[in-house]
Amino acid sequence: MSDADKYLYGDRSGMSNPLAQADWASKKQVWVPSERLGFEAGSVKEELGEECVVELSDSGKKVKINKDDIQKMNPPKFNKVEDMAELTCLNEASVLHNLKERYYSGLIYTYSGLFCVVVNPYKFLPIYSEEIINMYKGKKRHEMPPHIYAITDTAYRSMMQDVCFLCANLSSGESGAGKTENTKKVIQYLAYVASSFKSKKDQGSTALSHGELEKQLLQANPILEAFGNAKTVKNDNSSRFGKFIRINFDVNGYIVGANIETYLLEKSRAIRQAKEERSFHIFYYMLSGAGDKLRSELCLEDYSKYRFLSNGNVTIPGQQDKDMFSETMEAFQIMSIPEEERIGLLKVVSAVLQLGNMTFKKERHSDQASMPDDTAAQKVSHLLGINVTDFTRAILSPRIKVGRDYVQKAQTQEQAEFAVEALAKASYERMFRWLVMRINKALDKTKRQGASFIGILDIAGFEIFELNSFEQLCINYTNEKLQQLFNHTMFILEQEEYQREGIDWSFIDFGLDLQPCIDLIEKHSGPPGILSLLDEECWFPKATDKSFVEKVVQEQGTHPKFQKPKKLKDDADFCIIHYAGKVDYKADAWLMKNMDPLNECVATLLNQSTDKFTADLWRDVDRIVGLDKVAGMSDSMHGAFKSRKGMFRTVGQLYKEQLGNLMATLRNTNPNFVRCIIPNHEKKAGKLEPHLVLDQLRCNGVLEGIRICRQGFPNRIVFQEFRQRYEILTPNAIPKGFMDGKQACVLMIKALELDPNLYRIGQSKVFFRAGVLAHLEEERDMKITDVIICFQAWCRGYVARKAFAKRQQQLMAMKVIQRNLAAYLKLRNWQWWRLFTKVKPLLQVTRQEEEMVAKDEELQKVKERQLQAEEQLQQYETKQQQLNAEKLALQEQLQAETELCAEAEEMRARLASKKQELEEILHDFEARLEEEEDRVGQLHIPTSGASGQIWRERTAEAGDG
Amino acid sequence: MAPKKDPRAPIKKAEPAAAPAAAPAPAPAPAPAPKARPVDLSAVKAFGLFDRVGDNKVAYNQIADIMRALGQNPTNKDVNKLLGSPSAEEMANKRVTFEGFLPMLQTIINSPNKAGYEDYVEGLRVFDKEGNGTVMGAELRIVLSTLGEKLNEAEIDALMAGQEDENGCINYEAFVKHIMSV
Repeated sequence: MSDADKYLYGDRSGMSNPLAQADWASKKQVWVPSERLGFEAGSVKEELGEECVVELSDSGKKVKINKDDIQKMNPPKFNKVEDMAELTCLNEASVLHNLKERYYSGLIYTYSGLFCVVVNPYKFLPIYSEEIINMYKGKKRHEMPPHIYAITDTAYRSMMQDVCFLCANLSSGESGAGKTENTKKVIQYLAYVASSFKSKKDQGSTALSHGELEKQLLQANPILEAFGNAKTVKNDNSSRFGKFIRINFDVNGYIVGANIETYLLEKSRAIRQAKEERSFHIFYYMLSGAGDKLRSELCLEDYSKYRFLSNGNVTIPGQQDKDMFSETMEAFQIMSIPEEERIGLLKVVSAVLQLGNMTFKKERHSDQASMPDDTAAQKVSHLLGINVTDFTRAILSPRIKVGRDYVQKAQTQEQAEFAVEALAKASYERMFRWLVMRINKALDKTKRQGASFIGILDIAGFEIFELNSFEQLCINYTNEKLQQLFNHTMFILEQEEYQREGIDWSFIDFGLDLQPCIDLIEKHSGPPGILSLLDEECWFPKATDKSFVEKVVQEQGTHPKFQKPKKLKDDADFCIIHYAGKVDYKADAWLMKNMDPLNECVATLLNQSTDKFTADLWRDVDRIVGLDKVAGMSDSMHGAFKSRKGMFRTVGQLYKEQLGNLMATLRNTNPNFVRCIIPNHEKKAGKLEPHLVLDQLRCNGVLEGIRICRQGFPNRIVFQEFRQRYEILTPNAIPKGFMDGKQACVLMIKALELDPNLYRIGQSKVFFRAGVLAHLEEERDMKITDVIICFQAWCRGYVARKAFAKRQQQLMAMKVIQRNLAAYLKLRNWQWWRLFTKVKPLLQVTRQEEEMVAKDEELQKVKERQLQAEEQLQQYETKQQQLNAEKLALQEQLQAETELCAEAEEMRARLASKKQELEEILHDFEARLEEEEDRVGQLHIPTSGASGQIWRERTAEAGDG
Repeated sequence: MAPKKDPRAPIKKAEPAAAPAAAPAPAPAPAPAPKARPVDLSAVKAFGLFDRVGDNKVAYNQIADIMRALGQNPTNKDVNKLLGSPSAEEMANKRVTFEGFLPMLQTIINSPNKAGYEDYVEGLRVFDKEGNGTVMGAELRIVLSTLGEKLNEAEIDALMAGQEDENGCINYEAFVKHIMSV
């Protein structure tokens, strides 16, 4: 427990350290930008107009810096604060410093207003146990230290309170920042909290199946990770897709189902990987985990044989691909995905790899491609259940519709290769989508929609590379939208708080700030946004990426968020000013990426595959953009694709729609934001690169949030605390005795003579503009220092007076000594004195007598005491004798009693025996009595016999008569 | 017994410097407020007591202590300002006569320490973490030895002797009273 406490509460003892406080107050400490550390602490030494001389605390060097570059430091009271919105000096440097200090102390969670910021610890922390879950269950956010559980619990509670209320937990951040890990923690928490209720309340028949649902919910992740995650340079288990998990609850707050939606799978990873990176995990799991039977069934080969695994077998430290395979298969089992579907999935995975091994050659006499070795093609055909000849033909010379007729058009080597790669990517993506669909089917237990849900969005944050492509545009567009949502939420919440506290103040909706940029990307018309222009361009026959850029510049060139590159032309095609910063986009292959073309012939073949699974994957072939359409652009074929307009949709369109749906859902929720931050790129624990973190803070809106905060009254203090801390500043403002908190604060503020614009007094708190508290804190410190100095003066006075008194005593003593000494010097030669000194030893005799007397007296006393003691002793002895005698008497008495008792006993025995004898005699007599009675009886019988006879004779006589 | 009276004369020798000095002292005294008068007499004695050399002067660095001995509570800053912010060397070597000292004393008397008992109690209450009227002795030591015009260890030992209870806590109201009682 205490171990976990360390990672939750940390050590904030420095907070009230008066030393640090004094240091801060006296030195005028500030933050100065630094190349290496982001910011360095320093203290202002001198102010020269626009510039300041600052002495750096660490090196002691003095630097001259423009005043605008300096950022104020917070008083030490705010060290390692749990909510950075409390910081009174809200600036980049302070936020970074706070995060850093907390991170170094093992505190990875920090609030920043609405946000919860998490820094990846890169090590196991003991803060995710069931014990901790129970600690957070039902607690309010401010009652406990920051934690993802606190956020989750808040979401859960607010969902429970208001049945139709929906919550979303949004995490976004750079790859490796811990988004997915935190998402998993949220699910873990919900699965625990929402099901433990159940086992307590109704342990009926439903309990078991619900337990299963939670298990499945937790198992969905390993499956998605196996297929959608990969090792990248930054992250060993990087999610290559975004997801929105929706957990449905019933009215009682129990989990009744879940649904997962995925976004933007990086499918190109299936065919190519950068150095030291891996393709999706499942490839490696399968290749090292499949048994012999499965291997032959899936036509598996060695790592090195696959061209699509660019780097061969790359292993992840601490992870056994083989074990992971069986774990994934187990997860499938729990998900109740049957064997044949699993095999179907793996066949597609294997086929994707095999596609890479198809090699083409240019024919000697023409541009046409040929395939000298069709082993790979055969394997692919076998795995996907299609005819190998048809397949080869479809790749090498597909049938293309020209006008009304179909012609066979031979493909060049490049075209064939492109087609195969596109096919591999599409297959993988379709397989992934199918998998998600299948998981959703497994997780959707109820037919009816749950009463409410908690949504968890796990999506990448802003991506700003040197040059950015279509994928980055999509993700940045998403983030722009999410940030707008955040700003809007903040606006709503702030306004609520102000209303609750009865403060009149109009908050600006900063959500509107982002609208221009969003319009630039998504607007449909007038002028059309970038995505619309891209779609439009896809319809044009001769369009190229370049013509697209020209069109964008022509339509949007004057847009405030749009910039033409100032650098050389080949660097970037255009820039968009996202709120996170300026992003350079390079429009290479955007048309291709947007249309995502496929070889139609192959698609049709797959649609008719004998393999049920494959056929299922390719159900919707007519939505595909044919390869010929793209080819048409370069080949100047006459707008053939127009005929198919409206049948298929571009990637941009699909994504826009998907995002639109997501935003509609999120807008109805009560969002909670979690921002994940990667501390370094080396996957190292306990290291934090300041610039890396600053960039992320800028990108993920934490700093933006702070900027918005500063517009309002970010510092709030409850009346009680305000009074306690700052009463010293207003010594006579509050009359003695009890006073209502609010009234007292009003008086204090009046006494402080603050500008009315700097504060507001609410129902329970005082609100301050950013920086006001720092000022009060500074004044408080000065005041304390003043008082202390005066008190020290008194102390010095006390000490000095004590010392003076002592010295005066010493002086007195000295005088006495001197006087005596002087007297002696004078007397030394005086004859009488000398006589006296001679006589003095003799005087001792009389003294001896005196002493003798004294001793005698003493002796006498001692003797008396001795006598007394003896007397006492005697008394005690006699007493003892008496007691002894008494004791003897008692003993004798006892003896006598015992004897008497023995006698009595004897007597009793005798009497008893006598009684015995007498009883025997009695018996005898009784026996004799009986005998006698018997004899009397016998004597009677003859008499009765005689009388009977007489009676009979009489009756006989009567009968006769 | 008679001879005892005589030795007094030689003893006085330590003080004769003060005696003549005392003579001019009453001269400026009438000018300021009459209440200064009793101070002057003791001032003479105190001043003499601090003269270690016997030149009827005291060193700069003793001035503050003499004033304190005379019941004043100047801060080091006050005294420094009065002396014209001398260097450490000057503090040790420069000396001042009683005539020079007296106006200084007067200045200090005329501008007494503004803060009072209430202020000190409020000031120390800041360090009262539990709000029970006490502060940790150790904490008070740190406060007095690190903040403001830092006190040295010997001074603090003299201040705190017997003030801490068995838990190492100090009732600061009583403490302030104690300090201000002398």
